[in-house]
Amino acid sequence: MLTGLHVTGNTAMHRLPAGPKLAALALASLVLFFVHSALPLALAVILTGTLYLRLGLSVGEALRRVRPVLITICLFGLLNVVLVSPLEALSSTLRLLAILFFAATVTTTTSIADFMAVLTRLLLPLERLGVVKASDVGLAVGLVLRFVPEIAARHATLREAHRARGVPVKLHRLLGPLIISTLKDADSIAEAIDARGIRGH
Amino acid sequence: MTTRDLVLAALFTAIIIVLGLIPPVTLGFIPVPVTAQSMGVMLAGCIIGARRGAMAYALLVVLVAISLPVLSGGRGGLGVLMGPTAGYIAGWVIGAFVTGLVAERLVREGQSGLVQMGGFFLASILGGIVVVYAFGMPVVSLVTGTPFAKVALGSLAFLPGDLLKAAIATLAARAVMVGYPLLPQRA
Repeated sequence: MLTGLHVTGNTAMHRLPAGPKLAALALASLVLFFVHSALPLALAVILTGTLYLRLGLSVGEALRRVRPVLITICLFGLLNVVLVSPLEALSSTLRLLAILFFAATVTTTTSIADFMAVLTRLLLPLERLGVVKASDVGLAVGLVLRFVPEIAARHATLREAHRARGVPVKLHRLLGPLIISTLKDADSIAEAIDARGIRGH
Repeated sequence: MTTRDLVLAALFTAIIIVLGLIPPVTLGFIPVPVTAQSMGVMLAGCIIGARRGAMAYALLVVLVAISLPVLSGGRGGLGVLMGPTAGYIAGWVIGAFVTGLVAERLVREGQSGLVQMGGFFLASILGGIVVVYAFGMPVVSLVTGTPFAKVALGSLAFLPGDLLKAAIATLAARAVMVGYPLLPQRA
C-alpha cells in the first residue's frame, strides 16, 4: 500500500552514497538562496532538470511525482509577476525549480534503507544526550508502515457500517470510532514489543 | 519515553496518513477543498497530548523525508520538505505540541461536555491554526519573495475551512475523551 518513491537504477546519482547526496542538496539550496540573477539560476534548472529526467523515469511519471510542488511554485511565480516584478518572479521561480528537481533526484535515487542509515547517523549526537534512540525511530517507522493498511481497512469497515444502517457517511461521525478503535490496540502492541525485548534495556 | 507512548505516537501517525488517503471533500460554501489530513495537528494534540502529538508529527516528517508518499494527494519526498510550503510542515510539529499543551491545561475528565469542547476548540485554533500559519506564512514569503502582507491576505481564504476543521476536531476529541481518554492531565 505504501511504497517509497525510490526507483532502482544504475546512474551516477544512484551509485553515489546517500550522505554526500543529502549534503550536496543542503549545500546547493543554501548557495542558490544567495544567487539572484536569472542566468545562473536558469543554468541550475537545466542542470538539475536534466539530472532528474535522466534517472530512468518516463517524462510523464517524473513530472507527475513533483506535480503538487510544481503547481505551487508556478502559482507563486505568476502571483509575483503581478505583486513584485517579472524579473524577481523569474529568479525566485527558477531557484525553487532547481531545488525541487535536485530534491526529487535525491529522493528517486536513494532507497529507504539508505535514508534510514543516514538518519541513524544524524541522530547519533542526540542519542548520546539521551534525547532519542535511533532504533526507536526505526521501530516507529516500521509500526506506521505495518498499521496504515489496517487502519485504512478499519476506515472502510466503518463506512460500510454507516451505509448499511442508512446513516450518511460523514467524517465527523467516523473520526471518533476510528481513533478509539485504533488507539485501543496500543496497550497490547506495547506489551508485545516489551515482551520480546525489542527496545532493549 | 515508554513503549506505550511510542506506540500511541506511531499509531496516530498511521491515522494521519490514512486521513490523507480519503479523497478531499469540497464543501458547498467554501471554495477550498478540505482534506481530512490537515485536521491531524488538532486531533493529535487534543487526543494524545503535547509530547506524543509532536512525536507523531515528527515521525510523519521522517516518513516524508525518507521518500514515502504519506501526505494527502500522495505527496512525499524531499521536494515537499524543501518547497515553498516547508514552513507549514515545521509548523505542524510545533502546532501539535501547542495544541496538546493548551488542551492538557484546559480539559480534564469530569468537566461538563461543553467546557471540554470549549477547551478543545480553543486548543485547536491556537495550535492548529495560529501556530501553523505563524511558521508557514513567513517561510512562503521568504522563499518565494511574495510580500508577507499578500501571503497573509491570501491565507485568509483558508480560514473558514480551518475553523470548520477545528470544530470537527473538537467533536472527535470529545468523543475520544468520553470513550477512551488518553490526554495527560496537567495542573
